[in-house]
Amino acid sequence: MSVYLPIAEMPVNALLVILVSGAIGFLSGMVGVGGGFVLTPALIFMGVPPAVAVATQGSQITASSVSGVIAHSRRRGLDLRIALLLTIGGIAGTTTGVTIFALLKRQGQVDLLITFLYVVLLSVVGSLMLWESVRAMRRRAMGITPPRRQRKRGLAHRLPLRMRFPRSGLYISVIPILVIGAFTGLLAAMMGVGGGFVMVPAMIYMLRMPGNLVVGTSLFAITLMTAQATIQHALQTKTVDAILAVLLMVGGVVGAQWGARVGSRLKADELRVILALVVVGTALRLVWDLVSRPAELFSLAT
Amino acid sequence: MRVLAALALLCCTTEARAQRLPDLATGITEESISVASDYRGARLTVFGVHWGGGRGDADVVVTLQGPRADAVVRRKRNIFGLWINTDPVRFSRVPTFFALASTRPIDGFLAPDVIWRLGLDPGALAQLEGATPDDTDPAAYRRALVRLKRRAGLYRESPESLRVRDNNAFTVPFIIPANAPVGVYQVNVHLFRGGELIREETSEIVVSRIGIEKTVYTAAQDRPTLYGFAVVVIAVLFGWAAAFVFRRR
Repeated sequence: MSVYLPIAEMPVNALLVILVSGAIGFLSGMVGVGGGFVLTPALIFMGVPPAVAVATQGSQITASSVSGVIAHSRRRGLDLRIALLLTIGGIAGTTTGVTIFALLKRQGQVDLLITFLYVVLLSVVGSLMLWESVRAMRRRAMGITPPRRQRKRGLAHRLPLRMRFPRSGLYISVIPILVIGAFTGLLAAMMGVGGGFVMVPAMIYMLRMPGNLVVGTSLFAITLMTAQATIQHALQTKTVDAILAVLLMVGGVVGAQWGARVGSRLKADELRVILALVVVGTALRLVWDLVSRPAELFSLAT
Repeated sequence: MRVLAALALLCCTTEARAQRLPDLATGITEESISVASDYRGARLTVFGVHWGGGRGDADVVVTLQGPRADAVVRRKRNIFGLWINTDPVRFSRVPTFFALASTRPIDGFLAPDVIWRLGLDPGALAQLEGATPDDTDPAAYRRALVRLKRRAGLYRESPESLRVRDNNAFTVPFIIPANAPVGVYQVNVHLFRGGELIREETSEIVVSRIGIEKTVYTAAQDRPTLYGFAVVVIAVLFGWAAAFVFRRR
């Protein structure tokens, strides 16, 4: 079924977009990550202009994060005070990100920026995931349980501007929270990802937040950040395609929910290896496009 | 069928006007083209008759041009192992779409400078804005522009698609692909005799978005804040609905 995208100015196979976003949503829902970092390159490989792919993908993440926030707030897994501080930092990050994006778009370098950021991000995330899951599988095979991490005082406890966070039982500086938010917001605006894979580890290791609050809190901040990024892209780069967004939401949200359901009954490590291989494969493809001598040296933009 | 009926009508008027100057009458099967969500491109046929000349000494060249726009051509250079877009060159008044059909290949009866002057080559219509970078050839950029457009299916030259019926009557089917932009398209019919331009007829067709395509596009361009908020609201409703649907099961 062919559908014409008014902003991307191209027809796409709607069924294919829904299937691809559904499959990636399913896989990432099982593992518990957003999946935006695989879906955006997939859209680019399908011929969607990179700028449209990034700006539109943000709204799909808003949709899937909203379902996540609702699920976590039912279990009271949300520290609203930290979430709001992350969002304040995040809005500064998305604003900067969209401005850089718009600037590079005018200079014709936005595709390079996107590819380059994706190569770095996917290589790092992919190898970390691969390493982590292989190690976990080997540990289980040998019957070793991972050592429990001690709760030590980190950098967040020593910096100034400290605040009390009763829900998390923390008394920490607001500076690292704002910085984490800003960095995630930057990624959201320039790459069309939620940034949970950066935010969640940072909250665990830097802020030492309790594990049961981390995911809900980060999802809350990601919802607001990606919403803000979508509006800013609509204003500054005019590359948000509403029709593509709806197709991605249909596939991505349903896939992720279904994946989360199936995933809770399966061993996560094998799945994580599959996702890690997908991520590394995507990165290699992007690297190849960047370093191989192109058949056509000229490119056209309007 | 419609085309043949129209041609028959045109042929009847031929006799009446035959005493006057050598002349040309043309028509198009479509007056406007609508781009809806199921748009996969459009077909239209240009048809016409010419009269007043001897047998077989006339040549007809038909062009279909999309709206003009600016375009930037960049060349990739290898910088630190990466292929990066550099050396931008700006063109203005570039036809976004260009198709040409003729009774025989135009370089067979027209001199290159005539082809260029009459705009029968899409490369001739684009205007170079400013200078190209020092060590580059402007002609290479112009050739690249045409080549890239051709590869995207936006420039098509196919002399064989013009069908001559009954010696003085002709039909030309054109396809506007889905990736061609919306706007005002221009049809030019040129009549040549012995390599001389006798007559040129111009008509227009409007390709415009309708329905949801139009709503979405105009909202994104004219009310970007509202549009952005609308996309966010859709996303929130979607996520909220999904959370409830999946809880109940």
